[in-house]
Amino acid sequence: MGKWGLALLTAAGIAGVVLAVHGWSGWRPAAAPALAGSSVASSSPAPKATTRAPAPARRSASRAPSASPAPSGTSGPLLSSEPYARVSFRVWPGPMTAAAKQALIGLSVRVRKVASGLSVTAGVAGQAPGSPRVYPGGARVYVVEASLGDDSGNSDYSLGDDGLVVTSRQGRIVQ
Amino acid sequence: MSQAVSGRQAATGKARDAGSPIAALPARAGAAAAEWAPVAGRVLLALVLGWFGYHELVHPGLWTGYVQVAPASSGAAAVLVLIHGWALLMLAVALLAGIATRIAALIAAVLMLEIVISLTVTAGLSDLTLRDVGVLGLAACLTGISSQRLTLRR
Repeated sequence: MGKWGLALLTAAGIAGVVLAVHGWSGWRPAAAPALAGSSVASSSPAPKATTRAPAPARRSASRAPSASPAPSGTSGPLLSSEPYARVSFRVWPGPMTAAAKQALIGLSVRVRKVASGLSVTAGVAGQAPGSPRVYPGGARVYVVEASLGDDSGNSDYSLGDDGLVVTSRQGRIVQ
Repeated sequence: MSQAVSGRQAATGKARDAGSPIAALPARAGAAAAEWAPVAGRVLLALVLGWFGYHELVHPGLWTGYVQVAPASSGAAAVLVLIHGWALLMLAVALLAGIATRIAALIAAVLMLEIVISLTVTAGLSDLTLRDVGVLGLAACLTGISSQRLTLRR
């Protein structure tokens, strides 16, 4: 490796560090994509069953309330007021838009109406689904997909930007 | 006698054909491929590594879910993703510029092997995993090519 090569690698290394600082500054858990907010996290069933579950899934699993769901009527902020609203796609009730269908790629979401709200079972397509979870007062189910570009065929290349949100009829995120 | 003459004529014709530009085309194409295909492979591998490296650096939160040794929401996972992304970026630059290409390809192959094993163990064989196997194969192939065109030697 000559001096030019060394200089180029040094420049690339510095550029990489600058990018890393930029990435780190934008990473903060509260600002992480889609499901980082506590309200959303607690409203999201763990959509991934494997240990390779993406960040949102693990967050939701770790922050999810224990066995007993929140009382009916408890709701969080409006989904439309959340920064990830623009990357939230309604998957239930239908009909789904083309973008919603694409956002759903790689995920398996089953929704069933129950007396108190919605029962949602979510998981990674092709793998064992997680256990169903009841959302009292839930009326709509959204898939949050920060980047549709990582969905291809029946695969989602980066599950780290996926998540699930359940809202009430009024569009408030169900706790 | 006439058979011997015709045999000589055929041999002469073959020799003439072998010397013609058309007959030499496959050989020349093969030589060009041998010369430039490693460059194409190197550049394309660099593009793949550079793309993922850049995105891991800029959006580490999208990739922390793939970190096995730390909780996805932890800062440690983000730091590991950033380090991984930085390494990928450096490898991409090295391959693109032709700096220590065999060593860069070897490191890339090791990284790809880790990714393939990790994906296979945690999520099983999938089309995505097999695509990474292809990238691993390309990196492994480049470790065996000593002299290449368009390399930065000085």
